[in-house]
Amino acid sequence: MNKRALITGVEGQDGYYLARQLTRQGYDVFGIVRKKARHELDERPGTEENYQKIYADMMEFSSLYRCVQDARPDEIYNLAGLSEIPISWKQPTLTAEVNAVGVLRILEALHICAPQARFLQSSTSEIFAPSLSPLDEKSPVATRNPYGSAKLYGQWITTNYRESYQMFACSAILFNHESPRRGVDFVTRKITASATRIVLGMQDVLELGNLDAVRDWGSAEDYVYAMWLMLQQDAPDDYVIATGEPHTVRDFVIAAFQVLGVSLAWEGGGFDEIARDRKSGKTLVRVNPAFYRFPREDVIIGNPAKAREKLGFRPKHTFEDIVEEIVKNDLAALTRGRS
Amino acid sequence: MKHALITGVTGQDGSYLSELLLEKGYEVYGLMRRKSVVDYGNVNHLRDKIHFIYADMTDVVSLIKAMQISQADEVYNLAAQSFVATSWDTPLGTADIDALGVTNLLEAIRTVKPEARFYQASTSEMFGLVQEIPQKETTPFYPRSPYSVAKLYGHWITKNYRESYGMFACSGILFNHESERRGKEFVTRKITDAVARIKLGAQACVELGSMDAKRDWGHSSDYVKAMWLMLQQNAPDDFVVATNETRTVRDFVRAAFTAAGIPVEFRGSGLEETAVDLATGKTVVRVNPKLFRPAEVELLLGDPSKAEAVLGWKREISFDELVDRMVKNDLCLVAAELSQ
Repeated sequence: MNKRALITGVEGQDGYYLARQLTRQGYDVFGIVRKKARHELDERPGTEENYQKIYADMMEFSSLYRCVQDARPDEIYNLAGLSEIPISWKQPTLTAEVNAVGVLRILEALHICAPQARFLQSSTSEIFAPSLSPLDEKSPVATRNPYGSAKLYGQWITTNYRESYQMFACSAILFNHESPRRGVDFVTRKITASATRIVLGMQDVLELGNLDAVRDWGSAEDYVYAMWLMLQQDAPDDYVIATGEPHTVRDFVIAAFQVLGVSLAWEGGGFDEIARDRKSGKTLVRVNPAFYRFPREDVIIGNPAKAREKLGFRPKHTFEDIVEEIVKNDLAALTRGRS
Repeated sequence: MKHALITGVTGQDGSYLSELLLEKGYEVYGLMRRKSVVDYGNVNHLRDKIHFIYADMTDVVSLIKAMQISQADEVYNLAAQSFVATSWDTPLGTADIDALGVTNLLEAIRTVKPEARFYQASTSEMFGLVQEIPQKETTPFYPRSPYSVAKLYGHWITKNYRESYGMFACSGILFNHESERRGKEFVTRKITDAVARIKLGAQACVELGSMDAKRDWGHSSDYVKAMWLMLQQNAPDDFVVATNETRTVRDFVRAAFTAAGIPVEFRGSGLEETAVDLATGKTVVRVNPKLFRPAEVELLLGDPSKAEAVLGWKREISFDELVDRMVKNDLCLVAAELSQ
């Protein structure tokens, strides 16, 4: 009998890698998909289907309950959510409905229907106050936007169901994790897509916000493996999933252009900072204050010691691997489009 | 003349806050949900003085209309499903009102009158499995129920709006506050009501859950003053409001029976523990395991020094006076009920 897994948010970045991994591991995988106005035949071709689709919505309890009844999962990975922070300011209630109450809905569906199933909540480093020291599971929490507050609810309601009902329910506190499947609204993909377009002559300049912002970037493919490891343990627990390695947005820009064979020279500072192509002298990167999210220091680095010691989790991709993979994928997609 | 809008106006705190603000000369607007039987709750005695607006925390349109009608300078968000035990039975309803309701109201204020001052009723229950003793504004939270997780969201979204929009939005982290108007499902009022019935011969015994749980209890009328003070400051901030004293439920039981002239003795332990009326030898308190919570909060003890220093807030009603007032009031109410 194959183990059965249910994934919400299966159509997102993490959902793709997780469905693929679990299928390779011999699971029967079910993915929750929202019914969209656009017909499925118009969907992007070449999307691998490593799962059986079930239609449901994080906003509708009955649909989730039915999913759990039909799929009879051994493991549930709750990856569904609105994950763009600027949008969370424009749609704060929707963000809470999906990212906060949505977690409660699926926990209750499990509680009623499959209380022995193992549940993984995708939590986030956005719950923490930025800090110059690496953040671990016990670091002080301080959300800065409706996204973080909703995710904080999601993490605590998961803990509460674990403690109240002895459910195997855990939170993966995921630090930034990227891949070729990351949405273009995220700064990493914005950088790689823009750098590629600039090198191909399709764009002049890349505009960014705070170049000094520090993040801990990992690979989505590595991190979904960590999520799986968490559900294989003897007891449920929460873990920071991170690389522990800090890089600035500027580092990411440098690395992306490097993969494309372009070396940058940086001039100026603050809002006036630019980067020029060393060969041509052309300005390729500029700062736009409109993109600044925080005027003050913006540092989020994880301390992955607990995951390393207890799960034996070690990321396989380095920072350079991640940037290279995304840039090469963007390049292939753009050159394919042109030929 | 300042305008105030109170959500949850018919509840315990809503009623004491209404009295306070009316006394200070505010025009007081209160939100009420439509019921098939009109129910003014604890503000029945003020129903001609308060402007009632029909609205619902889950309906953001009604909240926008309430802001438009009231043009409130100060908004006190006291509305909530506030019984912790019920939150395990109705977790979604609790989240809709106690969590999303806060976002709805903040958005309504931002839409209609962003300069209005906002008070969010946060709670010591957010401290839950307390991470330090006593608890203060900087103590990390560890919620233990769907109620307190929802309230935790409410606390943080309030801060998010304050920090990002510059709204005058405050979170009051109030420790348990009781009164003669407390709902009878809450253990304090459940006890004083039962004590009155036992004293007047209408009931033999009361069943309780965990008697070891420790709480920091004050009187609601003192605590609503702190809410008002928070909105009078030059800048918005969050404050713990508490007495800095902690007692067990057992202590409350003993004090309540004593206030009614029934000295009791506790015998046995755990699920077999009882309280016995020393004069009659009858069992007046029993433990019922069904009343235990799935995840308990064993101890709460708040440090109100910031509220005292910055707001000049002072607790006036002592624990003994609180219990005495509640018991005496319930004796009157039960006596009146029995004589009908």
